Amino acid sequence: MIDFHTHPVLIREFADKYPDYTRMAREVFQIGNNLQPLETFFLQMDVAGIEKSVLLPIACARARGLAVSSNEQVAELCGLSKRFIGFASVDPLQPGAAKQLEAAIQAMGLKGLKLDAALQDFDLNDPKVFEVYEAATALGIPALIHTGMSWAPGTPLAQGQPLLLEPAIRRFPRLNFVLAHWGWPWVWDASALALKYPNVYLDTSCFYYDGPTEFFQFHFRQQMPITLLERSLRNQIVFGSNYPRVEIKNMVKAIKSLGLTEACLEKILRTNAEKLLGIETRPAR
Amino acid sequence: MIIKLDKVKVQSRKAEEAINITPQVDELVEKSGVKNGLVNVMTCHTSSGLLVTEGLPCLEEDILTHFARLLPEDENYHHRRYLDFDGRVGFNAETHLKSILGGIQCSFPIENGKVVRGSRQTIYFMEYDGPLERTYMVQVLGE
Repeated sequence: MIDFHTHPVLIREFADKYPDYTRMAREVFQIGNNLQPLETFFLQMDVAGIEKSVLLPIACARARGLAVSSNEQVAELCGLSKRFIGFASVDPLQPGAAKQLEAAIQAMGLKGLKLDAALQDFDLNDPKVFEVYEAATALGIPALIHTGMSWAPGTPLAQGQPLLLEPAIRRFPRLNFVLAHWGWPWVWDASALALKYPNVYLDTSCFYYDGPTEFFQFHFRQQMPITLLERSLRNQIVFGSNYPRVEIKNMVKAIKSLGLTEACLEKILRTNAEKLLGIETRPAR
Repeated sequence: MIIKLDKVKVQSRKAEEAINITPQVDELVEKSGVKNGLVNVMTCHTSSGLLVTEGLPCLEEDILTHFARLLPEDENYHHRRYLDFDGRVGFNAETHLKSILGGIQCSFPIENGKVVRGSRQTIYFMEYDGPLERTYMVQVLGE
């Protein structure tokens, strides 16, 4: 299984090595949990049955004073374990952002683009952002874009509206967009985008109240029919936990509680992510 | 009077786990130099515990199984809410309640430089929300 949405923001070894790392976690990303040794990350994956995790940085230094993990830190972690798949983030408003993305993918071995307009404070339809999408298209990588509500302080909710992405989705049909957090609370808007556009994927990392299983039961079985996932969107959903905002084991349990068929779960938990990343994590059966 | 405090890290490896820490407590008492006094052991967390029982795997399993029966995950807990200051949802009420139910500390007398325990008594660090690196405190007081 692959977790498509994690943030390496509580790793003790990095707090010892990088002076602003803990301040970034507390003040920019905003999370109160204790720092943990890297070993805990792997153990959290193990108990959840996750083989590989996508690590996401956010290049928000211009807007927030500090980046939420750097591309270099993500690449460093990927160098320590093949269980990590690193994404790159750039600030689209900085000159040379597209070149910086190329370098992160080609020289650091990172596998995708991560952007968060709310935390990075840019307009999703700024022509400079489209230059970055153009580079991502040429590189053949997926773009995971924050949609929905952000936990980070000072972030405007409106910048997470999934429909803001529609012009880019239309303009770059060969770029696969992964809408993080299923766009919550605009889950129908995000679902409609995925129905309409084959280059739109949804990650399951939405959890903002109650318990993960309760949250999933409401949104995926009551607010929308489970048949929407099972029949129409099964090829466009990837499992994401948003660890460490929630433990991975709880999100795996939540997705498995929905009563999806084994074939559909296999797509959500593995093969859709493999397809997006151009990898295979185990031999085909 | 000697008062010595140690903070000991323990890495849990499962979601729930009973970890025998008796040897570590014994060693810290012996190293403290206290011949006669008291040792207090306490977890630093609110979703883990510290308890004393007979050191048998069957009992370890029974504790975790029956705590889970008494405090099921799918109960209606008020704690399951948006905690903006924490950047998370507080969805682990049952683990906090297990910590309260099983307790968070234990004390033993020290005599002639050694912990005085019943022959069956084993000290367990109880993980209710792992895997995590945890910390427990061992404070030795005496002469």
